[in-house]
Parts: sequence; C-alpha cells; structure tokens
Amino acid sequence: MPPKVDPLKCDACQGESEPLCEQVCPGNLMTLDLGEPRKAYCRDAGDCWDCMSCTKACPRQAIQTTIQYQLAYFPGKLIPLVGTNSVTWTSIDCNGMVERFVIRTIIGSEDDDEE
Amino acid sequence: MGGKSVAEPVSPGGAKTERVNIEADVLIIGGGTAGCLAAWEARRSGGEGLKIAIMEKAFIRNSGCLSAGMNALNMYINQGGPEDFVSYVRYDLCGAPVREDILLSVAEEVNETVALMEKAGLPIKKKEDGRYLNRGKWNIEVNGSLLKPITASMAIEAGVEIYNRVYMTDLIIENGQCEGAVGFGVRDGKFYVCRSKTTLICAGGAAGLWRPNSNGDAHHRIWYFPFNTGGSYAMCKRAGAEMTSFEMRIVPIRTKDTYSPTGTLAIGMNAPMVNSLGQAFMREDPYYVERGGHTAPTLIRVLAFERETQAFRGPVVMDTTQGDPYKVAGLKSQYLDMSPCIVLYWGCNDIDPSKEPVEVDASDPAIVGAHAGMAGAWTRGVSRETTIPRLYVSGDALGGAPSRFISGSWACGRIAARAMVKALQVNSYELAEISGDKIDRLEERTFGPLRSYGEKQTEGLWTDGALMNGISPKQMEDRMQKIMEEYCGGRRNWFYVNETYLGIARKHIGRLRRTQLKYLCAKDLHDLQLAWDVINRLDVCQLVIEHLDYRKETRFPGYVNRNDYPDLDPEFDCFVNSVWDPGTDEVTCFKAPYEQLVPGDRTRESI
Repeated sequence: MPPKVDPLKCDACQGESEPLCEQVCPGNLMTLDLGEPRKAYCRDAGDCWDCMSCTKACPRQAIQTTIQYQLAYFPGKLIPLVGTNSVTWTSIDCNGMVERFVIRTIIGSEDDDEE
Repeated sequence: MGGKSVAEPVSPGGAKTERVNIEADVLIIGGGTAGCLAAWEARRSGGEGLKIAIMEKAFIRNSGCLSAGMNALNMYINQGGPEDFVSYVRYDLCGAPVREDILLSVAEEVNETVALMEKAGLPIKKKEDGRYLNRGKWNIEVNGSLLKPITASMAIEAGVEIYNRVYMTDLIIENGQCEGAVGFGVRDGKFYVCRSKTTLICAGGAAGLWRPNSNGDAHHRIWYFPFNTGGSYAMCKRAGAEMTSFEMRIVPIRTKDTYSPTGTLAIGMNAPMVNSLGQAFMREDPYYVERGGHTAPTLIRVLAFERETQAFRGPVVMDTTQGDPYKVAGLKSQYLDMSPCIVLYWGCNDIDPSKEPVEVDASDPAIVGAHAGMAGAWTRGVSRETTIPRLYVSGDALGGAPSRFISGSWACGRIAARAMVKALQVNSYELAEISGDKIDRLEERTFGPLRSYGEKQTEGLWTDGALMNGISPKQMEDRMQKIMEEYCGGRRNWFYVNETYLGIARKHIGRLRRTQLKYLCAKDLHDLQLAWDVINRLDVCQLVIEHLDYRKETRFPGYVNRNDYPDLDPEFDCFVNSVWDPGTDEVTCFKAPYEQLVPGDRTRESI
C-alpha cells in the first residue's frame, strides 16, 4: 500500500529539520525530492510495509495510502484522521460506499476527543 | 544520566568519516518491544546514575514490528499459571523441545508487565466485570494502534539516551568478551563507536530471506516486518556466540495477498478453515481430528493448509460467514488497529467478510524467536546472557523460547535488563580501550559497500547509470531470495527440503558470501542500509541451511517438510545449536539437551 503524496498539500514540513513522514518511516523510505519547492515521496514503493505511520503523521494530510493495483481494484481510499485519544478512519470502497470507524488509541486523562 | 556522546571531527587514524563516541553501562541495540522495556527496567533497577543508551535503526516511536499497531496481546495468563502456559507452548509446537526455564521466567511477570503498559496508556478491552477481555485462553484484546509510541514512551520517560537512525553493524569483541558495538548514522553518515560494559541485542528477527509472493510495488506485502533483516542473529553469530534452532523457522498462514494476522479470525471468531469441497477439514478429516482438530497445534494447522492445497482442494478459506454477526461487524475495526491495508483491500475487492469467507495463503517463511518460531542466540540459564560474556539478547533475538509475542517480549526485556544491572553490580566491568587499528578496521568494514561504490564508479557506468563492475544490494537480495526459495524449502516447493536441495543452497549462499560480497556497492546511505540488510540476511541464510541439514528428521511439520527424513527421530529430541568459525566460514552444528521442567505429556495442554 505505497504512500502517495499530493504535491498541492505537501509543504515538506517547513520549519522542521526533516519532514515528519521522513522522520517516522520505519523503512527509511520517505524522503524529499530535488524539485523546487521540494516535496516528499516514497523512494521505493515495493519496500513499503504499509504500516501507515507516514499517513498518520502528516500534518497536512498530504499522504494517501493506496493499494497496489495488482492486489485490488481502483478506486478506493482509506483515510485516517488522528485525534488526541482516538483515530477516525474513513473507508471509501471502490463502489463509493463510505464507512467510518472511530477507534480509541490511548488512555488519556484530559482532552478526550468527542466521539 | 544518559550515554555520553562526543563528536570528533576526524579521527587521528586518518579515517575519512566523522566519529561519534558513546559510552554506556547498558547499551541496547534495537529500540523495539524488548529494548524499550529493557531501558525502563535498567533505569528502575539500576538507578539514576546508570548510563543507558539505545541505538535505533529507525525512529523509536514508530519503528519495528509494532509500527502498524496490534489488536491483541498473545501472551497473557488468563487462567492457570506459568506452568500451564509452558504446557500450552509445547503443545502448540507438537511437543517441541523448548527452553522451559526461560518461558517460566517470562510467564511469571507477563501479567504485571501488561498492567504496567495499561498504566502507560494502552487501552485494553474489558469485560463487563472489569477484567481484561480475553481472546481464547492466552490472549487479550487491545486497541493497539499506538502500541509502539506507548512502548517507546517507557524508554523516553526513563531518561535514557536514544540515538535514532543509527544502524549497528558489528559488535566489538576483545578477549572473547563483548565491549560494545559500532554502526553508521543512516542520515548523518557518521561512524558510531559505542563502548559498553554490558550490551543487549534485541533488534528483531529476519524477514526477506525467501522470495515474497507478490513482486513489484507489493514486494514487501509480507507477514513479518520486512525491515527486521537478521541483524540480531548476524551480529551474535559473527561475534562467535552459540546460536540455536535456526531450523525452526515459521511459515505463516495468513490472509491471502495482505498477509494480515489471522488470530482475529481463528481465535476471535472461531472461523474454521474450509476447502473448495466445503469441508471444514480440521473438524471433519480424521487425519486432522486425531492431531487435535480445530484447536490442533499451529504446526498441524499449517500442514493442513499445505496438504489441502497440494491435493488441489484449494483455495482454503476461513469461514467468517457463520460467526457471531456482532463480531463480524467489529472485524474491520479490529484490523484497523493492526493491519489497516486489509480493510482497503476488502473495500477494493468487493469483499464483505460477513457474506464471503476470507481466503488464506502461506506467506514467505520468517526467522523469529518470540513468535511461533524459536531461532536466536543461546543463553545461560535465565540470565539472557549469551555464550559471549557481557552480551545479552531479548525479544526475537533470544532463542529456544517461542510464543512470547509482544507482551512476553516486554517482560523479557525487563528480565534481561535486571540481569545486566545485577552483573554490573557484582562485577567491576571497565570500558575497554580499543586500539585505533581495530576501530579503523571496523569502520572500513561498516562503510565498505559505500566506499566500493566510489571506487567502482571510476571504473565505468552503463548508460542507465548502473556500475559496470559492481552489484547493488537489490540485485544481491534478489539472487539470495531466488536461491532460498528454490533450494531451501520455499513456498514453491511447499516448504519441502532434502539433502540434495540443501546442498545446492549451501553452495550458492556460500558462494555469495565468500566471493560476491566484494562486488556489493552502495550508492548512498540508504543503499548502505540495504547492503547491510543483505549481508546480515546472508549470514542468517547460512545458519538456516546448516541447521536444517543437521536435523535429519521431521519435527516441525508444516514449517519444514523433509522427504528424505519424513519421521520423528527420538535422537533429535533436543536443540540444534551451532557456532560459526570466522577462519573457515564453517558453521558447526551440535545437539544441546532439552530439559523438561514442567511435568506431563508434552503433546497435551494441561488446561
């Protein structure tokens, strides 16, 4: 499920020493291209394990997790929105049906997300 | 507090790379499940003055097997006691010889450790009576999408020095003892020299030795975490440590194409495996019924999948359509906590698991120590110390003690740390002075493939930019995976091996190791990481081949099928251990006795 980066949303995490997707990727795969302005991309889609760390970490929701076409039909989306104590997943299947899942992620003492 | 770090611009030895010198009482290689809890426990039991450093190849909050999350903890004593857990582990692996001493030590503190993690923020599902929600006998359900950040928070709160993006390549061995380790900065390109009084290796198992089922952009759509590339085992082996059970690989039967875990279906929903004739064969076929039926040992269930498919009764599915509708409705949520890609896969293949069963398939074999496999370094008693003094292992790096999973690896990390702290208190270990020559040699080796690229580049490039006189890490990985797949019991041969196949595998893996590594070139630091991945994997391949060949029987059906020795041989009711000789590049295998501590029939569960 290689991560794809929307060039209109990615700002290379200006102000950070490295973009958050690059910081978190367990496989050292997310990196910046040499364009101007620079954008993040996955340097080897086949090496990605689909853990979605980058997709969840992106502050601009510029990264979309796509499924390999050899495995499944187009189009379809799975979008995580990370809150303080929960993650809200939106699944849009290839027929356009939308499902939403709100899942607890951490026991917090304050600032509980509204569920 | 924390490891001491001093950056030197250029070493006096004339080496080209900037060095970072780190000194630690406790050096932890691998900031994962075991490593983070080891750091926490080392601080707790060793006090504020202890210098603790973690070397992490990626970024500690998101690295390793837990990076996608996990929806259950597969080791928890819901009923009975530690002895009953050991009895279950033996049963689940067909009465395999296991290190019962180690398993007992983990079982004794796993529940307490889980409580600790709940306190750190891990949401654990509860029953109405407030007790943890169990899934089967030995598992509990969690909302573990942040399992790794929560695990990492234990190390961070313990105030240990954490070095992210440092790939450790080799241990420093002096007079037969472990004096530390060296590695390179994946981002900064610096040479890291860590001198330590005690060293813990917990850098995961080994994926990617065999060829995966999918290629191209799905090359890494495999069950085990693909960035665990055998560094734990390779570093121990090259240091001369005694290794154990590399013939006991795991063959994971998982959801086809995504290779997501199936415990959610098998244990959580009680979904049976069904063949194309509509037979729930584990419950109906006498061959499987007499071997345990639906709750037969893992090995038998793996074998059953293989037998049914080989007999052209596939595809094999897990029937999710007959289960509790409430549980089916919760399936997607459960997978989102652990393997979100399967939810997208279902959505893009018109699959509704409440109406259509889920097809399963065999992923490529993996070498692990803490899941349902038991490869790793051999350790003395319950100390977690290897046969190399001052070198400890935990998590997947620890051999002979399977089925500890995540929760057991947390506990196991704590146990290793306490043993290290105790050893530091009892002994007066000093940081060794390492000769400049030795450090220079280690640096040359660490950056070898990168420097080779620089040299070979001047010898010429093809028009596509590839080296005329060099081999890329990817090319070597492909070659290694092809050899292992075709000659070392890959999926294409239904996990069968025999002496002839293994002889060919030995020849080619040996050839790669002895004559081809000098051509291995890395064009940048990411490529250098890939180069070390393949170097380490080749080391593990050698162990696997020699161990498989030595165990001339079939003790782990499904995982390793032998057509030349298809039966159990009581002579092999023991561990197969080995030591590597750096002078000859030979692995010598030998038997290590199994000791039964928990009485009873090893092929039966006590509860």
